[in-house]
Amino acid sequence: MDTAVNLPRRLNFSSALRSPWLHPLNDAQTWDQVLSALNPMWSTRDYPARVIEIVEETGDTRTFVLRPGRRWPGHTAGQHVVLEVEIDGRRLHRCFSLSSAPTRDRRVRITVKRQPGARVSGWLHDRVRVGDVLRLSASNGHFAPPAGDQPLLLLSAGSGITPLMAIVEDLHAHGDPRDVVFLHACRTPADFIFEGRLRELAASRPGFDLRVHFSAQVGRLDAATLARELPDFARYQAMVCGPRGLTEGIEDLYRAAGVPDQVRSESYSGRVLPRTGAMELSHAVHCSVTERVFTARADSSLLSEAEAFGLTPAHGCRIGICKTCQCTKRSGTVENLRTGEISSEPDQLIQLCVSVARSPLELVL
Amino acid sequence: MPKAILTPTQLDQFQAELDALRAEVAADLGERDATHIRGVVRDARLNAAAGRGLLMFGFDPVSFVVGVCALARGKILENMEVGHNVLHGQYDWMGDPTLNSQQYEWDIVCHSSHWRRTHNFEHHSYTNILGQDDDYGYGLLRMTGDQKWTWRTLLQPIWYAILAILFQWGVAIQDLKLGRWFKGRMPKGELAVRAAPFVAKAKTQLFKDYVLFPLLAFWNIPRVLLGNALANLIRSLWTNAIIFCGHFTADAQVFTKDEVAGETRGGWYLRQIQGSSNLEGGRWFHLMTGHLSHQIEHHLFPDIPAPRYVEMAPRVREICARYGVHYNSAGFFKQYATVLWRILKYALPVERRPRVGAPQVA
Repeated sequence: MDTAVNLPRRLNFSSALRSPWLHPLNDAQTWDQVLSALNPMWSTRDYPARVIEIVEETGDTRTFVLRPGRRWPGHTAGQHVVLEVEIDGRRLHRCFSLSSAPTRDRRVRITVKRQPGARVSGWLHDRVRVGDVLRLSASNGHFAPPAGDQPLLLLSAGSGITPLMAIVEDLHAHGDPRDVVFLHACRTPADFIFEGRLRELAASRPGFDLRVHFSAQVGRLDAATLARELPDFARYQAMVCGPRGLTEGIEDLYRAAGVPDQVRSESYSGRVLPRTGAMELSHAVHCSVTERVFTARADSSLLSEAEAFGLTPAHGCRIGICKTCQCTKRSGTVENLRTGEISSEPDQLIQLCVSVARSPLELVL
Repeated sequence: MPKAILTPTQLDQFQAELDALRAEVAADLGERDATHIRGVVRDARLNAAAGRGLLMFGFDPVSFVVGVCALARGKILENMEVGHNVLHGQYDWMGDPTLNSQQYEWDIVCHSSHWRRTHNFEHHSYTNILGQDDDYGYGLLRMTGDQKWTWRTLLQPIWYAILAILFQWGVAIQDLKLGRWFKGRMPKGELAVRAAPFVAKAKTQLFKDYVLFPLLAFWNIPRVLLGNALANLIRSLWTNAIIFCGHFTADAQVFTKDEVAGETRGGWYLRQIQGSSNLEGGRWFHLMTGHLSHQIEHHLFPDIPAPRYVEMAPRVREICARYGVHYNSAGFFKQYATVLWRILKYALPVERRPRVGAPQVA
């Protein structure tokens, strides 16, 4: 029983406004759609942000300077936001690090590299113009340098430079006295994002050591490169952002040096799942609600496999018609045996009764 | 009209052709469908708002009639083209939580969770199978000789008239399985649990139309009360007529559990086609039926956005013609007349056969 029931009831105006008895006068969706139709920045769903400038960084990378509405709760350097876009009727969500430090004018930047074949980054490059309104989530994440006086090593590869740029700007804005080594890897000099700003800082700020590694000339940046470039790396507090292979390599290096706590990392390539081929006979399925993991055979429906394991997902027809068993797939690939559709996008709805696992999965179940 | 008989090979080919049609349309879904459904949501809301405004602020009979019609149109669009279709998951691919089958709650006394069970699961899986598809007569009407006749059946034209007037309530209590409770086969506690979502929803629905809006127009209470009641009546009569044309026309077939044992997807498609019937009309008519005028296509592809049925229909019809499957389609008045005729005809003890599922006397 809810103990609050026994307390004297105060008239709470905002909860009274949400009362089901006032429906449809207080229907939030309807009002949101009315407000959005009048001005997209007035939307009360998520956080609208207007594009006020688009900056060409390199041949395939652009920065979108955004001004979120007043309700947006702000961010700290190193955090990311989820951007929602609608492409051909489908809403898609992607995570982007903010590449700017918090400023008084409340402008934020996201820097997007066009990935070949990727829908969202391509759409942002091709379709978004100054004046458009994008939808952001609140900012998220804990990728920030610790306080203290230990020198900092900022290490990034490719578009992993974005949260580190925000961190560098933030350190600079606060006059942080720590020495910084910024080691960045990109393919060629033409791919160097934020080159102008970083060279300017390197020239003007004492104790800021910028080193750039062009992988097309000298090979991929990895832990061995770091050990060679900066033999006393263990003296530094490291902040690493890049593909999973790089961040894990650097973590291993620091662990081997006996200072595993001195590295913080963020990767944009998501959780690395055990490598499995299409012919693999079974896959691990992680259920994020019940916090259970079961193994699903690749030749039997996820519904049957979950039931065989002892879970009891809601279900109806078992032939892919009624959608009672529909659930969100966070990650992984499934095949719908009824339609032959392959779903590999994150956060897609799948029907358990006609879907089979084609990779390890994470389900909201 | 006898049922079509296909060989297993033909049935597989039949299935493959319909699967291919579905895949083609599913691959083409996009902006156009999203724009359509959002447009209808807006249309329904504008109609409801305009209708309520005219009822509240008008004093003359013309604004009363226009107001009632606009409110009824808003309710019909919301229930049929938006609610019914969204609850089928036709727009789940959009990833828009306001158009998601598991989250949408429609503007009708029937709770969406009850509807998803009785309609999406029971009716759409077991379409026209006697004893399994409760929508076949709603446990109230005898629509074929295979259903049991009792003296009560004689009065079924009256039962039907009451059902048509109170249609949203009939649909709302369907999942309560009151028949089982009457026969003492359901404990009272279970009924209370089953009824809770319905009771909560019914209260707010009644409050809205018969307390809140009339009170807001305190100078016009009787007018708003009457207008709301009439709009609800029009919605009930219209949806009932359209829905009864779906499976009760003269040529719509029924099936027994034995007949469908071991049914393949091709067999399932065949049953959906032979158990359903279409209505012909213009674009406006199709929209006002929530595209249930394409009942056949809807039963074949319940999760494809309904406006697509209009483009799919000629192709389904062509496939049916090649396999010698009857495609039941005619104008609304013609089809509805055959429905009313069936209600009258089977009220009488005609074509009585041993009850399906009843033990055979040796």
